Amino acid sequence: MKITICIGSACHLKGSREIIKEMQDLVAKNGLGDKVDLNGAFCSGNCVNGVCVTVDGELFSVQPENTKAFFEKEVMGRL
Amino acid sequence: MVTNDATILHIKHQVLYEVAKMAWEGRLEEERDELPYRMIPGPQAQFRCCIYKEREIIKQRIRLAEGQCPVGRDSVNVVQVINAACEECPIASYTVTDNCRKCMGKACQNSCNFGAITMGDTRAYIDPGKCRECGKCAQACPYSAIAHLERPCKKVCPVDAITYDEYGICKIDEKKCIQCGACIHSCPFGAIGTKTFMVDLIRLILAGKKVVAMVAPATEGQFGPDITMASWKTALKRTGFADMVEVGLGGDMTAASEAEEWAEAYKEGKKMTTSCCPAFVNMIKQHYPELLDHMSTTVSPMCGVSRWLKQQDPETITVFIGPCIAKKSESLDLNITGNADYVLTYGEIRAMMKAKGVELEPEENSYQESSVFGKRFGNGGGVTSAVVQCFKEMGEDINPEVMKCSGGAECKKALLLLKAGRLPADFIEGMVCAGGCVGGPSKHKTEMEAKKARDTLIGQADGRNVHENLKKVGADQVPMHRH
Repeated sequence: MKITICIGSACHLKGSREIIKEMQDLVAKNGLGDKVDLNGAFCSGNCVNGVCVTVDGELFSVQPENTKAFFEKEVMGRL
Repeated sequence: MVTNDATILHIKHQVLYEVAKMAWEGRLEEERDELPYRMIPGPQAQFRCCIYKEREIIKQRIRLAEGQCPVGRDSVNVVQVINAACEECPIASYTVTDNCRKCMGKACQNSCNFGAITMGDTRAYIDPGKCRECGKCAQACPYSAIAHLERPCKKVCPVDAITYDEYGICKIDEKKCIQCGACIHSCPFGAIGTKTFMVDLIRLILAGKKVVAMVAPATEGQFGPDITMASWKTALKRTGFADMVEVGLGGDMTAASEAEEWAEAYKEGKKMTTSCCPAFVNMIKQHYPELLDHMSTTVSPMCGVSRWLKQQDPETITVFIGPCIAKKSESLDLNITGNADYVLTYGEIRAMMKAKGVELEPEENSYQESSVFGKRFGNGGGVTSAVVQCFKEMGEDINPEVMKCSGGAECKKALLLLKAGRLPADFIEGMVCAGGCVGGPSKHKTEMEAKKARDTLIGQADGRNVHENLKKVGADQVPMHRH
């Protein structure tokens, strides 16, 4: 499963780094290293909402405080 | 430095400079659409068929400078084709030239196994529909009358990732592309470029973030014998970076970790490859995934220094600066924790500096963070010498045979041998750019042009050894493995 997280300046200022850190921890904690591929992405221009995250191409808007719930639903839920 | 795109480099740099200037001054949103008109005022076209095409090319270059695809939004590749700039070079690979005398021997015709050659009115003719591009006719002709026309971009690609669409416009096969960037300066029309993080970084600096620059080991000598690491530190601080560290330190870190891995593998009789060149890593991942087990798990010098900086302050945003394009793809691989957040090339950082009125200025060679071995990481063979030095420091009596590969073709050959179980050496040092990082696509000077200045600058460094250097700054406490 390919996940991308925007690292453009707008998303950075909205907390993409916290999201990345937490996702990395969640992948490690759940032993998903060989199933989940985490990638940074350049700005895709969808800067109006939260941080741009895609899961297998589907776009989501994530807030740092919702990362865990998002991961459980959209990542673990799909595996 | 002579490259295929030398005469158009100033246009590429002007776009970077103008975009950086608008970003620093906070007027990019309002003024980005005016730039093509400012740069191409018309009414006469200078380079292409018309000013409208020239303006479209500038527009696509601006998008790249802002980190976007030249057109559309759907591609993750760092290396991108500026399709308006691609001149659809002829695809007919073998062409008969004026040198043809329509001789009686007809070695060309006789050598062709596909019946592709007939005799025209004035010279031989190759039927592109029948030609299989084997090249036998060109070898056979006693007058060297058959030219091999290959697209320059395709010719330099080490992994055959360049194809064309139905109109002959260059296309990059992103499953094959290892982001080495060799095609970029090969194109005489400047039609290939990379997305940049320049605008993002300017915005983060303007937002008051702590951004620390990490300058590549290949840097010393690139800008002459007077531009020292201290010069870089000063110029980067004036540009708005919080600080700057020499990535040679990371070379020391990687060497120390790799020496431990190699020593263990050597005793077990296991063959291994290096993992510091990101294009080489991409080559293994995408083209020889069955060899991943043989790849060292040590992270790159860039990642080592980034982790070291973040250990001291987790809020630090780390930026690698060097001659490398593939490093951009390494920074985007978030499966590795703590790596550089962003990557800039020399051209991009210099545009950022110039737009703020900052230049690199001569300064005493007073700042040294790395051993000479770490500093030499950017040269072909440098990784091996640093690892061998670490063996000595560790008291390991190991003398492994290393196949030092410089350039994509050599890397490929070594990996094929390893795959076939016929690699004569114990280890592979893989550097996808010829000569190592100093031959990187975004270099300022060639290896030979920079050599004298590089030797002078590195010659002024003290003779500290690798392990003592790491210990002194606490870099021996940084985890150096991928996971």
